[in-house]
Amino acid sequence: MGSGPSTPKITAQDRAILDLKLQRDKIKQYQRRIQGILDREHEIAKTCLAQGHKDKALLALRRRKYQETVLSKTDGQLQTLEELVSTIEFSLVEQAVLHGLKQGNAVLAEIHKEMNIESVEKLLGETQDAIAYQREIDEMLSNVITNDDEEAVQQELLELQREAIAQEEPDVRVSLPTAPTEEPVHQPQEEVPAEREPERRPERVALEA
Amino acid sequence: MSKSLQKQTTASGFILPSIHALPPFFTLQLHPPSQASQTAHWTRLILSYARHRRLFTLRLEDAEVPGGEWDEIFHNSRINRRLKPTHLAFLLSTMVEQGQAIWDPPKQNRVVLLHWRLPEEWAEVLHEWATSTGQLNTILTFYEITDPPIDSAMSGIPTSLLRRAISILSKTGRAQIIEGAEGGGVRFFAPSGKP
Repeated sequence: MGSGPSTPKITAQDRAILDLKLQRDKIKQYQRRIQGILDREHEIAKTCLAQGHKDKALLALRRRKYQETVLSKTDGQLQTLEELVSTIEFSLVEQAVLHGLKQGNAVLAEIHKEMNIESVEKLLGETQDAIAYQREIDEMLSNVITNDDEEAVQQELLELQREAIAQEEPDVRVSLPTAPTEEPVHQPQEEVPAEREPERRPERVALEA
Repeated sequence: MSKSLQKQTTASGFILPSIHALPPFFTLQLHPPSQASQTAHWTRLILSYARHRRLFTLRLEDAEVPGGEWDEIFHNSRINRRLKPTHLAFLLSTMVEQGQAIWDPPKQNRVVLLHWRLPEEWAEVLHEWATSTGQLNTILTFYEITDPPIDSAMSGIPTSLLRRAISILSKTGRAQIIEGAEGGGVRFFAPSGKP
């Protein structure tokens, strides 16, 4: 609680903005007053007409007209002031964005000091070398194993093949049929069912159409 | 007889309590328990009416001179009764004693500022309004807050009450008063979030 002011200091800029806004408020209050006069003069004109004082009514309307021109002039001034206030507030936002960028940049620069391009390249190169070295070792080891065992494996394969053939030979002889000694005779089969089918097909075709 | 005890609704949409239709309500009771009950009813009525119509100030002359803002409750034409100024003076000083109102301006006893919402509650409403309208960290004038172009939760609040609410907020670092050349200004901040 007693650690000092937790709210930011009030700068001269802040006071300037406040004064600008106070000026804007004053114009708004002035406009309200003028609007009140306008309404009042309108009422006066109506009353005068009701009482038959046309000239007084005319005067009231003229005064009202003049106040209307004053009002429209202040409208223009108010707009200028409000635009100025809005521009200032926007530039404050821009300033904050710029400040944020600066801070972000500073942080990034700090990180880059530790993590510069050269050291990263070196690290990556070392990693590549290590991976390649490991691959060589793997290859050497796998070569050694292949040369030693390849012959043994081939031998085993030949053994297996011989065993397999020896087991199969007694069963391989299948009883083949004897070759024919006379000419084969063609026996006529019933052709009626074959004839019937083409008859049916046209019927089906007609139906489908 | 039972008709007059029905709850009446005023032109402004305020529902009057049934006790308002009883003639003795408008006469200051002398018997202490009755007086205490009557005073409690009147203060509750005054505060809820003020809340309903967003009236901040109550003057002795609101009972002295008819046709004011408070006529709907100080004058019951159906039973032809009116709250007397002496009775109102008693009610005003009771409310100040009980903290439901303060003499505003101070050191007089004719005009009070009603606390139908406590300054602490106003402080919360004020900060909530500033946050929800995206107006944190910008400089605002008092006039902007009390007289916005569109009615807001803060419209019409008297400047003195506004200042009190702001000073309550500044104790928790959520607002900062800036005195301008011709008026007051304030800047609101988000809560610092420190537990």
